[in-house]
Amino acid sequence: MLRLMLEKPTTEAYPFKKIQLPERFRGKLDVDPAKCTGCQVCALVCPASVITMVDLGTRKVGDRELKVRRPLFDLASCILCGECVDNCAFTALELTKQFETATANKSDLIMNKAVVK
Amino acid sequence: MSTPPDQPRREESAGLMEYSTESLVPFGPIHPALKEPEYFKLVLEGERIVNVIPRIGYVHRGLEKAAESRPWVQNMYMFERTCGICSFVHSLCYGQAVEELTLYQVPRRAKYIRTIIAEMERIHSHLLWVGLMGHWAGFDTLFMWVWNDREVVLDLVEAIAGNRVHKSMNAFCGVRRDMPENMEDRIVERMKFLTDRARYYKEVIDTEETMLARTENIGRVSADTVEKLCAVGPMARYVGLKRDVRLNDPYAAYDEVPLDVITTTEGDVHALLKLRLDELIVSANMVTYAVENLPDGPIRVKVPPIIPAGEHSSHCEAPRGEIFYYVKSTGGRTPDRVKSRQPTMANLPTALELLKGQTLADIPIVLTAIDPCFGCMDRMSFYDTETNKRWTWSGEELRQYGINYYFPERSKKPHGLKKIGDQSSDSCLMEGF
Amino acid sequence: MSETLAQLGKYAEEIGTKVSPLRKNESVIEVSQERLKPFIAHVVNDLYIRHLMTITGLDLGQNLGIIYHFSKERDTIHVRTSIPKSKPEAVSIIDLVPGAILYEMELHDMFGIEFIGNPWKERKLLLPEDWPADLPPPLLKTTKADQIRKRLGLEVAKP
Repeated sequence: MLRLMLEKPTTEAYPFKKIQLPERFRGKLDVDPAKCTGCQVCALVCPASVITMVDLGTRKVGDRELKVRRPLFDLASCILCGECVDNCAFTALELTKQFETATANKSDLIMNKAVVK
Repeated sequence: MSTPPDQPRREESAGLMEYSTESLVPFGPIHPALKEPEYFKLVLEGERIVNVIPRIGYVHRGLEKAAESRPWVQNMYMFERTCGICSFVHSLCYGQAVEELTLYQVPRRAKYIRTIIAEMERIHSHLLWVGLMGHWAGFDTLFMWVWNDREVVLDLVEAIAGNRVHKSMNAFCGVRRDMPENMEDRIVERMKFLTDRARYYKEVIDTEETMLARTENIGRVSADTVEKLCAVGPMARYVGLKRDVRLNDPYAAYDEVPLDVITTTEGDVHALLKLRLDELIVSANMVTYAVENLPDGPIRVKVPPIIPAGEHSSHCEAPRGEIFYYVKSTGGRTPDRVKSRQPTMANLPTALELLKGQTLADIPIVLTAIDPCFGCMDRMSFYDTETNKRWTWSGEELRQYGINYYFPERSKKPHGLKKIGDQSSDSCLMEGF
Repeated sequence: MSETLAQLGKYAEEIGTKVSPLRKNESVIEVSQERLKPFIAHVVNDLYIRHLMTITGLDLGQNLGIIYHFSKERDTIHVRTSIPKSKPEAVSIIDLVPGAILYEMELHDMFGIEFIGNPWKERKLLLPEDWPADLPPPLLKTTKADQIRKRLGLEVAKP
C-alpha cells in the first residue's frame, strides 16, 4: 500500500501528455509516391484487401505502351500487419507512429497520395 | 432474426423432464479480450445447480470456411485474430502445421524468439486471469494491482513486436522481426520483477480472507472425469494429470529451454490460482534463459507461396490449454481444409461437470476458473425447480449476487458511497480494500 | 517408432487394416465404419491412448471423411474413416470417449453428419435455431459463402 502511494501513478495523463511510443510501434500506413512504381505486389499480399490498383493510363517505353497503375489505400480496413511494407522492393511504404486516426468521415481514411498526379 | 437469448426456446419450456435430458451452459463472463459470448441455461434446486445446458456459437465467424478461399500467408493473419490473448500461439500452430508440408527447416534463432514471445504471452494471459478472478470474487484491489503489473509485460511485447495484442511476428519457417538491440538487460530485469510480484500474489491468495472464502473447496472434480472428458491445459494439471504439450511433444525451442510442468493434487479453484502463478514464474525463468542463450543465425527462410500437397497437424500449448490445427493441401495457393480447435472447446464438458452441485453464488468463480475465451456474458437464464421461478440475469447482477452471498456485511451502505446494486464498479473498488 | 505405435501396428495387422506412419511419431490408420468402434475401444482401453484432441470432417467429393485425432505423450494417431454423402450417418464414440460429444455436435452442424448413438444428435451447437432447412451444411465444398449470405438475408459491408 505504502509502496503504491509513493510511486508515481500508473495512469498516463494522455491526452494531455504525449505518450512515449516504442521504436517498432506499428501505426498508420504511409506511402511515398515518388518511390512507388506500381508493381502491385503490395495489393497481392495484403491480407485485408486494403489496396486496389487504379489505372492511370499508359506511357510509352521505346515502342511499347505500358500500363501505369498506382495503389489506392482504404485504411479503414488496414490491420497494420506490415506485409506490404516487407514486400515492397522499392521501400515506398512505411508504418508510421500515428495512431490517432479516428474520424467521423470514412472518406478521410482513403489514402490516394500515390494516385493523384 | 433469431430468438433472443433470454427467452427459452418453445420446446424447452415444456417441462422439467425436457431439462433433465439436456445440458445447456450459459457461459460468458465479461472478458475484455475474449471473443465468444456463450449462453447457458441453469436448472436449480433452491441454491444448487442441478443441470446446465450450453448453447454456443454466438460469434461463430466461419473462419474454417473463409480459410479455404484465402492464400496461405493471409490465413496466418486471419487465424491470429481467432483470439486476442492467445493470438501468437494460434499463428504459431497454423504455421507449424504448414511448415511441415514444405521441406524447409526453421532456423534455431527463430525457434528461440518464438519461445520467448509465446512465454511472454502466457505471462500476460495468466496475469489477466488472476486479475479477473479477483474481480469476480469481489476483490477489486487484486484486479487493479495485477493489471498494473500486466503493463510491464505488454510494454516488452510492444517493444519487440510493435503491437500489444496481435503481434504478427510469425511467418512460415521463421519470424518476421528480430529481437531489438540491447533489450536483454531490460527483459531480464522485468522478468525478475514479475517473479517477485507473482510470489507476493501467491501470499495474498493464501492469506486474504476474500479469496480464501470464495475459492477454497470450490470447483472439485475427479481426475478420472477430467481424463475421460479430454480436458486440456491447467484444467487437467490441477487434478494431477501431467498434460502439457511443451513437455509431451516439444515444439519450437522447448526441447532446449528448461521446462518445469506444475501439477497440483488439491483440485479446487484456490489451487488453480496458485498453479497459474507458479506457471508464470516458470515462464519468466524460461524467457530469461532463452534471452541469455539466444543463438545467432538467420531468422527466416523464404517459402514459396504454393505449398505441396499433403496433410499435417500440429498442437501447441496456449495459456488456456492445447490448441490443435489440422491442415490439408492439394498443392494450390489456398488450403483445402483447415481445422482449428481452441482449448475452451475441449474444456467445456469439464466446465459443465464442475458446475453441477455448485451454488448459484459460485457460478462466476467456477466459470472463470476454466479461463474461458468468450466475449461478454450475454444473459444467463435460470429455472428454479423448487419455487418454479424463472428469471434472467446479466453478468454484473450475478457477480453482485455472489459478492453479497459471501460477504453480506458489504451490502450495507458504506461510508456514504454508492450502494451495491448500482451497476457501477466504483462501489466494488471501495469494497475491495 | 515408439512402443505404443509398434503395438498399434501389430493390432492393425491382426484385424487387417493398414497403418501408415506419417512422421516418426505419427501414424494414420484407415478404418471402415463397421470396424471403427472395436478399433477405438482397443486404442482407448488396451493401449491407454485416452486423449482425443478433436474430430475433423472433410469433404472428399463423393464421401465425407471423418478423422479422429488421438494423442499420448509424443505419439499422435489419426484414425480415418469415411461415409457416403448420400447417407451421412456415422457411429458415435461417446460411450468410449465422453469428451467427443461437442466435436460430434459440431460435425453435425457443419457437415450434416448424424452420429447414431449420440443423445444430442438433433441439437444445434453452433448454428442459429432458424437455420433454413433447405440450406446445406456450411462446410461442404458445394455450399458457397454467397449462397449462405443471400439465404440468411445478410449483407456484405461495402468498402
